[in-house]
Amino acid sequence: MRTRIIAKLDVKPPFVVKPVHFEGLRKMGLPTELAKKYYEQGADEVMYIDIVASLYQREILFDEIEKTANELFIPFGVGGGVKTIDDFSKLFHVGADKVILNTFAVQDNPDIINQAAQIFGNQAVVINIEAKKWEHWYECYTDCGRIQSGKDVIEWAKEVEQRGAGEILLQCVDTDGRQRGFDIELAKRVVESVNIPVVVASGAGSLEDIKELIEYAKPSGVAIASLLHYDKFTIKDIKEYLGLNGIEVSK
Amino acid sequence: MSNIIGLINYGIAGNIHSIKKAIEKAGGVVKVINTKEELESVEKLVIPGVGSFKDAMQELQKSGLLDALKIAATTKPTLGICLGMQILSTLGFEYGKTKGLALINAEVKPMIVDAKVPHMGFNKIDVVKSNRLLNGLENEEFYFMHSYEVVNYTNIVALTEYEGHKFVSSLQQNNLYGVQFHPEKSREAGIKLFKNFIEL
Repeated sequence: MRTRIIAKLDVKPPFVVKPVHFEGLRKMGLPTELAKKYYEQGADEVMYIDIVASLYQREILFDEIEKTANELFIPFGVGGGVKTIDDFSKLFHVGADKVILNTFAVQDNPDIINQAAQIFGNQAVVINIEAKKWEHWYECYTDCGRIQSGKDVIEWAKEVEQRGAGEILLQCVDTDGRQRGFDIELAKRVVESVNIPVVVASGAGSLEDIKELIEYAKPSGVAIASLLHYDKFTIKDIKEYLGLNGIEVSK
Repeated sequence: MSNIIGLINYGIAGNIHSIKKAIEKAGGVVKVINTKEELESVEKLVIPGVGSFKDAMQELQKSGLLDALKIAATTKPTLGICLGMQILSTLGFEYGKTKGLALINAEVKPMIVDAKVPHMGFNKIDVVKSNRLLNGLENEEFYFMHSYEVVNYTNIVALTEYEGHKFVSSLQQNNLYGVQFHPEKSREAGIKLFKNFIEL
């Protein structure tokens, strides 16, 4: 299977921002412009996450999302502040193909995963896990890496699969935005504990980091943010490098 | 000749926005179809699909489109996309057993494969019987996003291999076409497929 290379936009409307450890935001550009740029570079998907909607308990900004979707002819995953089946429905109507969910499912009502999967199909429900490393385990965080949940990452990953999630986006509070490599042990453990695709984010600092992650943990996809936002590499550069190193990617 | 493509809108689960945009990019004119009367005003049909087999059939029934669509899909050139292809089948086994539109002799069953499911991402199609819809797209990659597959032995146009498992990625019966992948999410190759459909 071709490993998907996904561009991830962390959005604090109206800007794409780049947090370090989910804090200290820097403005990177507008979602519409960056989404289009990464689409043209050959991204397999774009993920758009409103990183402050849950924290500020604000409504989802559908207009912004629709404008971004209009530029894309590849799958578009959207998350941040999703709480109801109606939110899912509205997001699909403005152009999302997958809805990414974390805080509400962890803190309030995990049954929303079952309901959404039954109505929209498993493939449309992505669970975002924000993992934080402790000495002997990993804990799920919410609200963009700010709130502890007490839930074990591996147990939660298995539970969301059981409930009907079609995919996991695995982020890591410790490595996010630092560009010093992924937590490949965490990635491997999550990939091996479920039968649904796992997309791994948080930590790409070099092409070697991405190669190491794919070879060691075998995720279905890799989500890249900083490397692209800072123009260190393009999606095309990443795919060419991976292809030369024997890793199958799409054209 | 007017050449309006009717996009079937059923229930809350359809992703009609993306498909409308892609057909328009390919130069087509789209009319969203909500009632059976509107079916008569278009030359071609696209049946989208995001959701489950059972919900899709229930929504078609509720909207009053079901019986009219069964007839229209055999008289006008019609393209079913993903779930929209799956419901052309006789039976579906997602959340119980559900009767489909029964236009193609097929069943929809869970993918059984030694790999992650849903099958998600770009993958190649192997065209085993050329047709006008897939003309020029024989070596292209398309985006797949599904956990179920159509089991059929008589109408196969293309197959796709996922980790050693081959499944039907495109079907055709006269003017009725189905694709398991999402052309609206498959970059230029997908736009080209819609161009081919417009030119049928």
